[in-house]
Amino acid sequence: MADIYSPSWYDAVRDTINSKVADISDVPDGGFTVAVDIQGDGASPYFPAGGARHFLIRIDDGRCEWYREMDSTEAGTFDHDEPLDYRFIGPATVFDDIAAGLRDPIDAALGGQVKVRGDMRFLMRQAEHVQVLLEAYTNGVSTDWPQGRPPYGPNGSESAGA
Amino acid sequence: MRSDYDAIIIGGGHNGLTLGSYLARSGLDVVVLERRHEEGGGLCTEELTLPGFLHNVHANYHTFVDLAPPVTDLEVRSHGVEYVRPEVQMASIYDDGTALVVHRELDRTCESIARFSEEDAETFRRLNTEAHGYVDLLLGTLMYQPPMSVKELTKALAMFGVEGRSEFLGVKLRRETINQFLDQHFTHPKVKAHLAFHGAVCGYTNDVPGLAIGFPLLIGKIDNWHICVGGSHRLAHGLWRDLAQHGGTLISDAEVDHIVVEDGRAVGVTLASGEELSARKLVASTLDVEQTFLRLIDPDAVPAELRTRVANDVKHKDWTLFSVHLAMSAAPEYAAAEFDPDVNRAWVVNLGYASTDDLDAEWQRIRRGELPDPRPNAAVNSLYDPTDAPPGHFTGLLRQFAPFSLAGTGPGGWEQAARWYGHRCIEAWRRYAPNLTDDVILDWAPFTPLEISQKMVNMVGGDWMMGEISLDNMLDQRPLPELGQYRTPVDGLYMAGSTQHPHGYITFGPAYNALQIIAEDIGLAPWWRKI
Repeated sequence: MADIYSPSWYDAVRDTINSKVADISDVPDGGFTVAVDIQGDGASPYFPAGGARHFLIRIDDGRCEWYREMDSTEAGTFDHDEPLDYRFIGPATVFDDIAAGLRDPIDAALGGQVKVRGDMRFLMRQAEHVQVLLEAYTNGVSTDWPQGRPPYGPNGSESAGA
Repeated sequence: MRSDYDAIIIGGGHNGLTLGSYLARSGLDVVVLERRHEEGGGLCTEELTLPGFLHNVHANYHTFVDLAPPVTDLEVRSHGVEYVRPEVQMASIYDDGTALVVHRELDRTCESIARFSEEDAETFRRLNTEAHGYVDLLLGTLMYQPPMSVKELTKALAMFGVEGRSEFLGVKLRRETINQFLDQHFTHPKVKAHLAFHGAVCGYTNDVPGLAIGFPLLIGKIDNWHICVGGSHRLAHGLWRDLAQHGGTLISDAEVDHIVVEDGRAVGVTLASGEELSARKLVASTLDVEQTFLRLIDPDAVPAELRTRVANDVKHKDWTLFSVHLAMSAAPEYAAAEFDPDVNRAWVVNLGYASTDDLDAEWQRIRRGELPDPRPNAAVNSLYDPTDAPPGHFTGLLRQFAPFSLAGTGPGGWEQAARWYGHRCIEAWRRYAPNLTDDVILDWAPFTPLEISQKMVNMVGGDWMMGEISLDNMLDQRPLPELGQYRTPVDGLYMAGSTQHPHGYITFGPAYNALQIIAEDIGLAPWWRKI
């Protein structure tokens, strides 16, 4: 078990992706870089209201090669060492819910709770691989919720506990 | 006149100007060539009636504002372009004096629909809410990217299980008409008629199989209709300013006689005046495919099969628009205001289509070349943009769905029909708004389908979408599969006008998507891709 959003949790997500990718038939060649902007919304205890955390993830030949957290200055620019291919933006409670398996990530994108920027053609053409990435994030690892587990009540005060 | 450029763009409509601006901002030496005396194409605003009355001769409805990337990328608002989004967007007025009103605010629209059917109001709320959730995602996927195939899209939708997640989206929609979609989800004929009418004014005919797939997206922008303040031409002028500020050149009165092709590559153009301009990197045509491949290019420069297919297989819309532009001393006061006072504040009003059967019958008549009993839609821009008329006065625009070629007399029949049919359209409006007496209507001018094709020659047969809107003429099939990715069989020649995906309307989409292909081919860094 790893604490949500801790380095060991992300390592577990990465390892899960890479183990599942081996099972799919149509692993895309080449790579892409994804930024994820998680915005504090006052409900998630893991992000200060108005604050944000930003992550950069690199996928090559279907595998997660690396990830790292960015500071807000870097996240606000588009000038990374690697050109950015996608950006996912959404409130912390939505990402928390997805990680807890309470909200489907495709539903979140279709519902506009998570905004997706980038060339959707590649994601559409690699739907099977994208499903693996999403499943790893959603259900792939055992997660501890040291500051409470979603669903959260107003202002995070009614946390259901870890 | 200088004679050599990096990029030559044929056609100074909004797509030509948009592509020109992006390329100029990318550091290319760009010229945009426009046949007419001014830029803009369908973004054409003229004093057709009396001095001070600014009439949008063609494009009037701006529905992609803040949805289309070029609006922000090219900073159009910094170039004197201002939009207003009317509080009361659209209404349908029915013969029994009732009215359905679409507001900017969803709650108010639902209240109006609920007067006909509470169930339909709740369905509309769910549809609108769902569509607003994915409108950005779908527009980014479907409109502002070079197109995928229907097969690829269908496969992806199935993989992501969209059908099971959405009440309204689904793979089966690619076989269904908008009528079928409406019959499945809505109950009241007037509600269905209004939504079908909205589809029609967006170019999506309600009885054409397959168009249901785009309908949820149309609902996603049903409340995003904008007026370009001071007339639609202001947008064209703003785009021109952006082009000029970034070093590009627009030349008006510059009709292209032919595209120069050497060793299979487009290397320039010759103007009707005889001047020759050379293009170091590319030539892009925003004209119709017929002009581009049958008139402007030497027959030996393109495969004979393509010329044959352009001549025979390019599909055009089977209905067009007859317009009446009016100068008025008062705004319409509808009798239906007794039922809902907000109809008098509605920017666009559909007069009289009370069921999808009404609309279907209209399409049948029009396809036979018959003139319908007028049931025009009426727009009064001055309600929200007082700058388009002298103080205390109003411009009006009546639009009637109509055939291009009249039974018996052909397109030329419009020359005889224009005045009397225009008069009938005004009479039809007056039945719903009795205050619009002859004293109030100070002057009026018809604008016929024939004139559309003469003034905006790209719009072949008055085809204001520059290509049929049907499933087999969408995405990578538009206008022909071999031209569906903006490239042509001639190296360095691109298609970037509304013949291409997504389609006509002020979408900026064809230019924006052609830009992606051009950038890939000539190695431009996509500064505009703000991920």
